[in-house]
Amino acid sequence: MADPRRLSDLDLERALTALGPRYPYPPTPNLAMAVTRRIAPRQAAPAPRLVLWRDSRRLALAAALLLILLGAAALANPVTRDAIAHFFHVQGVIVNRVPSPNPSLSAPTTLNLGRLTTLAEAQREVSFTIAVPAQLGPPDAVYVASGPPGGEVALAYAPSPGIPLVGQTGLGVLITEFRGDLIPGFITKEIGPGTTLEEVSVNGDPGWWIAGAPHSIVVHVSPNADNFETLRLAANTLVWAHGGVTYRIESGLSKAGAMRIAGSLL
Amino acid sequence: MEGRPLDDTALVERARNGDVNAYEALVQQYQELAFRVAYQVTGDAADAEDAAQEAFVNAYYALGRFRAGAPFRPWLLRIVANEARNRRTSAHRRIALAERALAAQSSGEAAPSPEKAAEADEFRATLMDAMRRLRDDDRLVLAYRLFFDLSEAEMAIALNIPRGTVKSRLSRALARLRGVLPDDFRVPSSTGVSDG
Repeated sequence: MADPRRLSDLDLERALTALGPRYPYPPTPNLAMAVTRRIAPRQAAPAPRLVLWRDSRRLALAAALLLILLGAAALANPVTRDAIAHFFHVQGVIVNRVPSPNPSLSAPTTLNLGRLTTLAEAQREVSFTIAVPAQLGPPDAVYVASGPPGGEVALAYAPSPGIPLVGQTGLGVLITEFRGDLIPGFITKEIGPGTTLEEVSVNGDPGWWIAGAPHSIVVHVSPNADNFETLRLAANTLVWAHGGVTYRIESGLSKAGAMRIAGSLL
Repeated sequence: MEGRPLDDTALVERARNGDVNAYEALVQQYQELAFRVAYQVTGDAADAEDAAQEAFVNAYYALGRFRAGAPFRPWLLRIVANEARNRRTSAHRRIALAERALAAQSSGEAAPSPEKAAEADEFRATLMDAMRRLRDDDRLVLAYRLFFDLSEAEMAIALNIPRGTVKSRLSRALARLRGVLPDDFRVPSSTGVSDG
């Protein structure tokens, strides 16, 4: 029925199928690098995060510490938690409640916690006494970093019954300890509507319980407005300072669960 | 499947949870396809690169809305094609592309004989030219199926059309392609075009 001179659909399909692999496309550019660069710095930082992660924790802890120290006065007033959290700015620390953090924001699963070591060796390298939570016992892994003044230690616990896996860290519980009193910072913590910020008392010391949706930490490393980095997102976090040392417990546990671990830090 | 380190679903799931390395693996895996699909639309390498890159970034931010377990590839391509359409510049660029493509093709692979090579080159050039003269939608339908070997199910997602309409779209696109080909267009006897 078709004009015999014309190509059939099958002919055309075959011709195109044969053309496909010979189509003279320009060389494919390496998009992966550009894409990860664009999604990383503002989000969970792939290449930068390896370098900055440690800083992020350090600075996040500094942020939290400064919040504790500087925000204590503000918190003494009987104002609501959200009113404080909405825009809280005291001497270089801002806690900003943002309307809608990106839903795909999350944290890297590769953590650069420093050098894998033993508790005893780590103790020799830091200028404070490492506290281990009696409730959890000896950590599954100990990391030490000498970058921050006074050093920094990370105690990692694998998930176990009652200790859920945390997507942000790939761990059950992550405890970091460092000399918060030695580290200055200029920090913004961005907390979306799904994240709650609550003042707590940890063993009598003021601290913060940040829970719900993961929150991001932006560190202004210089006065240059362009020079900031969003370092990573964090899961439920209990942070407080005692005797110049800042402690941070990141986990998927409830506030009570995190407080129990904090209470057992020896 | 077994033996594969991580399939798309696992990588997507990881990326959704913020694993940038997992997303980078997805980009690595699909950057050539994304770039080529974009190039089919834009006809310009720089525009195609731009579109593909933007698509990957946008797709990352949209992962939260991505249905878990759904196929990633056609979903990505839908974003790529949209980005590419947004970037497609003027028609003369596409014509320039066709010319460049022809030139590139002529200097390409070894041929059985100068005559046959010339015949094959001309055939391909004519076919490419006809493809470029199609509307984006028609060209994408043909390219998805015949260049990039997408299944009908994938095409439905990539083109954002009901699955039941894929076949008729394909057939319409072929008809339009035939319409823009020269009347005397024939498959050359020995060009590697036929199966035999």
